[in-house]
Amino acid sequence: MKKNSIWKDAFKTLSKDKWAMISLGIVLIYSLIALLSATGLIAADWAQEVGTSNLPPSAEHFFGTDIFGRSVLTKVIRGTQVAMSVGLATSLIAIPIGVILGALAGYFGGWVDDIITWLYTTFSSIPNIMLLISITMILGKGLFAIYVALGATSWVTLCRLIRGEVMKHKEREYVQAATAIGGGHMRKLFLHILPNVSHIVIINTSLQFQIAIKSEVILSYLGLGVQGEPSWGTMIDDAKLELARGVWWQLAGATIAMFLVVLAFNLLGDALRDALDPKLKGK
Amino acid sequence: MTSTSLLSVRNLVVEFQTGEGLVRAVNNVSFDIPAGKTIGIVGESGSGKSVTSLAVMGLLQKPAAKIPQGEIFFNGVDLLKCNDNQMRDLRGNQISMIFQEPMTSLNPVFKVGDQIAEAIRIHKNVSNRQAWDKAVHLMNLVGIPNPSASAHKYPHEMSGGQKQRVMIAMAISCDPKLLIADEPTTALDVTIQKQVLELMHKIQQELKMSMMFITHDLGVIGDIADDVVVMYRSNIVEKNNANAIFTEAHHPYTKGLLACRPKLGANPKRLLTVSDFMTEDGKEKQVPASRIEVYEKENFIDHGQKVLLEVKNLVTQFPIKGGIFGRTVDHFKAVNNVSFKLKKGQTLGLVGESGCGKTTLGRSILRLVEPSAGNIIYDGKDITNIGHEEMRLLRKKMQIIFQDPYSSLNPRMTVADILMEPLVIHNEGGNKNQRYNMARELLEKVGLNASQMNRYPHEFSGGQRQRICIARALMLRPEFVICDESVSALDVSIQAQVLNLLLDLQSEFGLTYVFISHDLSVVNFIADEVGVMNAGQIIEMDKASSIYKNAKEEYTRTLLSAIPKGETKRSLASLV
Repeated sequence: MKKNSIWKDAFKTLSKDKWAMISLGIVLIYSLIALLSATGLIAADWAQEVGTSNLPPSAEHFFGTDIFGRSVLTKVIRGTQVAMSVGLATSLIAIPIGVILGALAGYFGGWVDDIITWLYTTFSSIPNIMLLISITMILGKGLFAIYVALGATSWVTLCRLIRGEVMKHKEREYVQAATAIGGGHMRKLFLHILPNVSHIVIINTSLQFQIAIKSEVILSYLGLGVQGEPSWGTMIDDAKLELARGVWWQLAGATIAMFLVVLAFNLLGDALRDALDPKLKGK
Repeated sequence: MTSTSLLSVRNLVVEFQTGEGLVRAVNNVSFDIPAGKTIGIVGESGSGKSVTSLAVMGLLQKPAAKIPQGEIFFNGVDLLKCNDNQMRDLRGNQISMIFQEPMTSLNPVFKVGDQIAEAIRIHKNVSNRQAWDKAVHLMNLVGIPNPSASAHKYPHEMSGGQKQRVMIAMAISCDPKLLIADEPTTALDVTIQKQVLELMHKIQQELKMSMMFITHDLGVIGDIADDVVVMYRSNIVEKNNANAIFTEAHHPYTKGLLACRPKLGANPKRLLTVSDFMTEDGKEKQVPASRIEVYEKENFIDHGQKVLLEVKNLVTQFPIKGGIFGRTVDHFKAVNNVSFKLKKGQTLGLVGESGCGKTTLGRSILRLVEPSAGNIIYDGKDITNIGHEEMRLLRKKMQIIFQDPYSSLNPRMTVADILMEPLVIHNEGGNKNQRYNMARELLEKVGLNASQMNRYPHEFSGGQRQRICIARALMLRPEFVICDESVSALDVSIQAQVLNLLLDLQSEFGLTYVFISHDLSVVNFIADEVGVMNAGQIIEMDKASSIYKNAKEEYTRTLLSAIPKGETKRSLASLV
């Protein structure tokens, strides 16, 4: 037998799944577009007039132009950058909070668990959209407020999952074996238990990523999100007035872009769960 | 095929498609089960015995499993040519099966009576009432006390042995012609195992069924099988009637299997293993006479060594929570007032059934579970109440080897990391290279190859994993090791190798062991002194060399009589 780690095995399973690989490809393409746009290599000139107002899609302008004569395709690309940055920033905020709180609650139990459980049940008892709106109201409109608002709400699921998984693993004999050789709490928690629950973080992130993207679109649509920059949400908002005049391409561009990436993340998340979750092995 | 054969397997080949190519799990296997007879299929894990039974049941995982060749005739019908519907009709009705793990084979949310009745209703055209009555009748037949009340119980309200009885009741509910039992007693205590074996034998006789009994332990089937088939590495190596197998085994593997189980009283200094009888490539080997000389333990007991561990009136109790607020309403004393002394270099064996408190006692001594009262004196120092940090440092000297080699190794660490971790924790062994070399040396000492250092635990077999656990426990050169059921999860042939290894290591490093097991013959072989535990207390303690001859307590005698009798039919010398 060759040297096989659990990650390599999982990747092997994943690479046999056609839809997972297509989804992974889509996610990578979106990431690349977002990266190129963020570094200013493409779509930096999104505010430029490229033709007359509201031109329908043509070979020259793939998604047509908007009311100010700007290219809708360039706006979609710019919107991709916003969407992906929201997903990434949300994950960067939610993962550390969710993992650390969940791990502490699950490992130590007792009053630590009580406090953390109280915290996340409180968070999850407030309707998400209300919480998002109130945080953006407090912090003011803009991208930064969206990062914080989504980060602050999306750690809850991860925290709950990690807590349960850590509780299960801390009773396992390999953790007792670590105690028996004199390992301290931090070693047991961070070196033994966490690597064994890390697959949860990956699965959950890929599912949370698309929730964050959708939430950004909703917030921007409500006028609470990105200001002065194109986003799929503001594009859809603009399109609702134009639709009556038969200008459908702005709506189509933003929706197709969002549809593809959300679907890709969902399929990838499911496939990752199949590949990584030992409970489903052999089914 | 003879006319009396109920089941006839002819030249069966089963192959599995794996990542590493096609693997042949069953190679050209043929055997017959005559009507009304019991046939035992014996072999170690991976020998193909379970795959054979799954092939008969038509339960092989398709498409990974392929049957390129062979025939399985049941009552004259080739099962391999039956479609899914025909097989479903046969399964549970004419052929039924009992699995190893009674804890997971029953559905936890249904009453056991309903589960048995359901099995009846699927195959027989009867009313709910009739099915229920039949279920109660069957529970009576399998010896469950007060069956009409017990039928209303849920699986968690029953003990392991009772659950296995329910499984048997379910399996025989449609009067099957063939009962396949796959390691039905391996998960049970020896005393329960004996009862279940007797029950299966009785039922087989009464219902005139045929039975196919699969096990890794030849001793178990000695009393109930008419014929025995020995499987090794996908092949049948020996087929004979049960008496002949025990008295005049021919194949070296069979001899090895017979010899490797420790016997009460007369054992050689190191247990014989399959490798004593057979070379790697399957050729017979001459066993040197010195290997079978009976070794008298009395010889080395008591050279006036100092007492290393003393346990005084130890009590460990767990709260029982009750009421809606989970208040503590009572305490359950898992260890109740236990005292003993253990001298350096000796082995204390603790034996008892599951739930007797032996595991809790072991963990309390290491303070993996905090004791509630009493004293643990290690090397002259009372360690019952010392601080967390002081205890952590002491763990260098006191180690434990767990029961389950599958769950006691972190699956995300390589063998090298697992072995080096104790050194890292206690900042010993110099730099990384030196630690790596120490780990490699010890890995070779426990019989594994140094080239396997960078592998992950799941790439090893159960016996190899237990060797890794042993190596990990010895990395810090401890003085004292607790072996908690450390060989119970292993096949008998592997068990002998691991027991020998533990003894070799003991004499090389001067280790002191507390050896915990439910199997009196194993404890008797490895220990100098044996303590019998029941309900949290040590009820009898004696030298290993004499406890099996003059047991004073009734309970000890029960444990002794539960040891499978298969091996008493022959002596070691007759095998060589």
